[in-house]
Order: sequence, then structure tokens, then C-alpha cells
Amino acid sequence: MSLNSALEGKSYPPVSFQVEPEHVARFSSAVGEDGSFVPPTFATAPEISALAQVIADPELGLDFARVVHSGQEYEWRRSLAASGTLSVTPRIVAVGAKGRHEFLTVETEMRDGAGELVVLARNTLIVRGEA
Amino acid sequence: MSAAALRFGDVRVGDEIPPLAKVVTREDVKAYADASGDQNPLHQSDELARAVGFPGIIAHGMFTMAHLVSCLVAWLGEPAGLLRIRVRFRSAVFMGETIVAGGIVRALDRKTRTATLDVWVTLERDGVIEYPIKRSEAEVRLA
Repeated sequence: MSLNSALEGKSYPPVSFQVEPEHVARFSSAVGEDGSFVPPTFATAPEISALAQVIADPELGLDFARVVHSGQEYEWRRSLAASGTLSVTPRIVAVGAKGRHEFLTVETEMRDGAGELVVLARNTLIVRGEA
Repeated sequence: MSAAALRFGDVRVGDEIPPLAKVVTREDVKAYADASGDQNPLHQSDELARAVGFPGIIAHGMFTMAHLVSCLVAWLGEPAGLLRIRVRFRSAVFMGETIVAGGIVRALDRKTRTATLDVWVTLERDGVIEYPIKRSEAEVRLA
């Protein structure tokens, strides 16, 4: 394995993500919505902002050039607001191998200013094995 | 949303969620890369995408997932009704292709007024149906 399975369970420091109405409007437009509500998948933007530190973790050994996004899950506990701050905390919940390929699942919690859980995300990446 | 929220009593197991189609354009994918922050070059550089065997850039899986969510929200009439979604990404989506999101009601729970849905996204390529999102599921709360 090139991925470090000892990192299963590792939490990363929370990242503060500022939700701006202008950003939500751009996202809505990009996904074909009319802007009358915050698209539930706007959660992807804070999630990606916090995943950067996992992807770049030198201890993990992730070769991003061989990565394929294999699965994604969201649980919405409350509606996303069009403004405010989210505290976004990723944690590695699974690292493993499946045949020649390896996989990594990162669960990311997004909490509002009051500390309430807004969205829980699970992102599964597959690292393609070398032929 | 202008539509009224879909009511529990108006939904049956086996009901089809009205399919929602969309042509994927380079402009949309570029806008999505900027708005989501996912700047993976596979979605921006034809040269890099060709080097790994695609005819050109591919859409983000999350772009296709966002379209599936739009389909579900249009059916629900209320974005807050979407409680959970879990998708598996399969086929890549190329520029100019038409993705079609859809689903079916698999189970209903009267106590919680929730429904479990089987959901997917298909496209047709060279006469073959491909599944950018396959065997996936969502849970929704009905009014």
C-alpha cells in the first residue's frame, strides 16, 4: 500500500469557512438553480476547502494524479444558511485496499456558529493501482 | 421555491421521480470548478484529460451529483426535505453530453413521514446507456 493505513481515525484541525451570499449565488448559477434557496450541495465548497489539508498531508502519501472520486454522501441536519461561518473538520474514517486499488474515506463535519451540526459529508476516493 | 412541498399522502412506493435532463457544457463545468473550489485539472485541461484516456475534460462527479439533487428538490418542492444522499460515481461525463437524473420511491415510513429513494443519473453514448451515478439512494422528508 502506498496509503498510510495508520492514519485511520486521524482528525485534522477545523477550518473556518465564511459563507458569502455572492458565493452562494455563483454556486447556484453553476448548478443551474435560480438562487431562491441555498443548494444543498453548496456543502461541497466548505468540504473541499477543508479536504485540502488531508490531500496534502505528507504522512498520508496520497498520489492525487491517480485519484478517482468513487462515492459521496451528505447528511443534512439543518438547511444551509446563505451567510455565516462554518467550522469544518475532516477526519479519516477508512483507509484500505481493494484488489490493486486503494481507497480512502474522509468524513467531514460542518458546524454553525452555535456549534450545531449542519452537514455531515463522507467522501470516498479510490487510488488506482499501477498496472 | 414556488412549488408547494410534496405531501406524504400523495406519494406511493414505486412512484417515479420526474426525470431531469441537462446538457453539460464547458462553461458550466468551469463555473462549477470556480464555485466549488475543485480545481482538479482533469476538469479543465483537455491535454491532461487525454493523457489519462478521456476524449477531453470530464465533468466533476459532484457537478453531476448537484444535478441529481436539483431533480430531487424540484420533485420535493422544498430543499429542506432532502435529509441524506449517498451516490456511487461510475461513468465519466464528457462535454456536450446530456445527463438525465431520476429515481423511484423504494420505501415509505409513515411515522417519520420520510421516503427512501433509489436514484441515478444516466446518459446515452454510442447507443449505450451509461450510469455516471449508479445504484445510489436518498432519504427525504415529506410534508
